Amino acid sequence: MINSIVNKFRQRNFVLGFVAVLVIFVLLGIYKPYVLIEGIQRSSLYALIALPMALLLGVVGIINLAHGDFMMLGAYFAYFMNVQLGMDPLVAVVPALIVFFIFGMISYYITFKHVIGAPELNQLLLGFGLSLVLGQAVNIIATNQPRKLSLDYVSSSMKIGDFQFGTYEFIYVAAAILVLVGLQLFLKKTRTGQAALAVGQNPRGAKVVGININWIYLIVFAISVAIIGAIGPIFGTRNTIFPEVGLAYTLKSFALIAVAGIGSLTGVLWVSLILGLSECLVLSSLEYAKWSDIIFFALIIGVIMYRSHQRQVK
Amino acid sequence: MKYWKYMIFAVCVLVAISLPKFLGVYPLQMLNIIFIYMALAVSWDMLLRSGQMSLGVAGFCGIGGYTTVLCTINLGLNPLVSILIGALLAGLIALLVGYAVLHLRLLYFAIVTLAVTEIFRILVRNFDITGGPEGIILPNAIFKGDAAGTYWLMLAIAVFTIILSWVFQKTRIHFALTSTANDEIVAASSGLNIFKYLVIVFVITSAIQGMVGGAYAQIYGFVTPESSFSVNFVLLPVTMVLLGGSNSTWGPVIGAVLLSVIAEALKLVIPYGHLLVYGIIMIVAILWLPGGIYGIFKKIGAKAHN
Repeated sequence: MINSIVNKFRQRNFVLGFVAVLVIFVLLGIYKPYVLIEGIQRSSLYALIALPMALLLGVVGIINLAHGDFMMLGAYFAYFMNVQLGMDPLVAVVPALIVFFIFGMISYYITFKHVIGAPELNQLLLGFGLSLVLGQAVNIIATNQPRKLSLDYVSSSMKIGDFQFGTYEFIYVAAAILVLVGLQLFLKKTRTGQAALAVGQNPRGAKVVGININWIYLIVFAISVAIIGAIGPIFGTRNTIFPEVGLAYTLKSFALIAVAGIGSLTGVLWVSLILGLSECLVLSSLEYAKWSDIIFFALIIGVIMYRSHQRQVK
Repeated sequence: MKYWKYMIFAVCVLVAISLPKFLGVYPLQMLNIIFIYMALAVSWDMLLRSGQMSLGVAGFCGIGGYTTVLCTINLGLNPLVSILIGALLAGLIALLVGYAVLHLRLLYFAIVTLAVTEIFRILVRNFDITGGPEGIILPNAIFKGDAAGTYWLMLAIAVFTIILSWVFQKTRIHFALTSTANDEIVAASSGLNIFKYLVIVFVITSAIQGMVGGAYAQIYGFVTPESSFSVNFVLLPVTMVLLGGSNSTWGPVIGAVLLSVIAEALKLVIPYGHLLVYGIIMIVAILWLPGGIYGIFKKIGAKAHN
C-alpha cells in the first residue's frame, strides 16, 4: 500500500497534478475559505456515491442505472429505523450493510443475472426499469412527501478565528477514504477481489482457469449494492429524502466514472474534487449561482467529446 | 394480394380521419395523447434499430416546443409554420450534437443526449426571453382549441412518422444500420459509412421529436422548463417500444395504443405511483419478452404460414 503511494510520486504527471491541486487549495483557501471547505465536503459525497458504481462498472462492467435508487432505499431504511425504533442513522449503517447485501443478491438473481453477456442496451434498459420500480414502490409505500431527520449533531460547527464552518460533513470525507481503501484492499488482497479483476479483463479466460464467474458477478453486485445501501443512512442524516432523490446521483456517479476513466477508483476522487470545488465556487457568487448545475453537464459533454475526438484521431 | 397491408393502413387512416364526426372531446383528447407518444415511440425506435439509444427525446421535444412558442409570440408566425421551424431547429441541434458524439456508442451516447436535455432545461430556466422557471403561456391554443383540428394535426404527425419509418425500413440506410447493430466491425469493413448514416437518422428522428414537442406546446398553449422537458417524454416511448416490440414500425404503434389506454385506467386505480407498472413492464419485456407483443404476433404468423 505505502509502496504504491511512493511509486505514484515518482511519476511526473501525478506529481504535477498533485502540486496543481495543492496550489488550487491554497489559492481557494485564501480567496474564499468556505468554498474550499464546502467544496471538499461536497466532492467527498460525490466520490462516496460514485465509488460503489465504479467497482461494479469499472471492474466487472455491469452498468447499474438503479444505483442512486438503492441509496434512496438505504436512506429510507435509516429514516424508518430512526422513527420506529429510535436507532441512530449512523448506527443503522451496519444493519443496512447486511440488509442491502442480501437485497443486492436477490435483485441480481431476479434481474441482472439474465442480461450478463447480453447487449449493453439490455442492461441499460433493465437498470432504467429497476430504478423506476424502486422509486415508484417507495412512492406508493411512503408517499413522495420529502422527509428529513432532525439530529443535533449534524449542525455541529467549528470556529477558527472569525471563520465558522460545519464539521459534521467531514464524515463524507472519512467515509469516502474508508470506502476507497476498503475497495482497493478487497481488489488487491482477497482472492475474490483478484478473481473479480480477472473476470473484468476477460470473462471467458477467467472461466477457463476455473473461476466461478457467476459467483463473482453476484458477489461484486451484492457488495456494490451493500455499500451504496449503507451510504444511504449517511446521506439521509444531512439531506432531505424523497423517492426521486437518487436519480441525480446515478447520473453524477456515472459521469464522474466516465470522466475519470472506467476502471480507475482513485481517479473518481480527483474528478469529484474538480466538480465539487467548481460547483461550490459558482454557487458562492449570488449572481451566477443559478448556473451551477450546468457545470456538471458541460463537464460530461466536454470530456466525453474529447474522448470521442481522441478515438477518431487514433 | 401484395398490397393488402397498404390497403388496411389506408382504411385505418380514413377511419381515423372521420372519427371527430362521431366522438366527443374526451376520446379525442385521449387519441391526441396516443398519437403524441406513438410518434415519439416510432421515432425513438428508428434510432434504436442502429443499436444506439437516445435519452434526449425530452430535450428535442422541449427545444421544438420552446422554439414554436417563441416564434408565434415574438415573430407572429402561423402556429403550423412555427412547428416546422421548431422541428428544423431540433434537427439542426441534433446535427451538431450528432456530429460531435455519434462516434461514441451506447452508454456514452445515451448520457450525452441526456446531458444535452439537462443543459437546455437549465438554459430556458435561466434566460428571461424563455420566461424563466414559469415558462411562457400562449395567448391562444392552436386552432383556437378546436378538438377536431388538434386531433387532425396530431393524426397527421403520427401518420407521417409511421409512413416515414415504413419507407425508411426499405431503404439502404436501414439495412446498413441493422448490420451495424449486429456487428459494427463487419459493417465497417464492408465499406459502409456508418457515421454518416447514424447522423442522418439521428437528425431525422430528432426533428420528428421537435415537431411533436412543438405540436404539444401549441395544443396545450404553454411551455415550462419542467413540463416541456418532462422525463415522461423519454420514459413512456421507451416503455412503449419495449412492450410493443422494438425494431419494427408496428411494435411501437401497438405499444403506444396499449400503454396509453392502460395508463389512463391506472391513473384511476393507483393515482400516485402508476409509473411502477411501467417499470415492471420494462423489466418483464427485457427479460422474458424480447420481441414484444409484435414479436409474438410475428411468431404466430410464421407458424401459421408454415
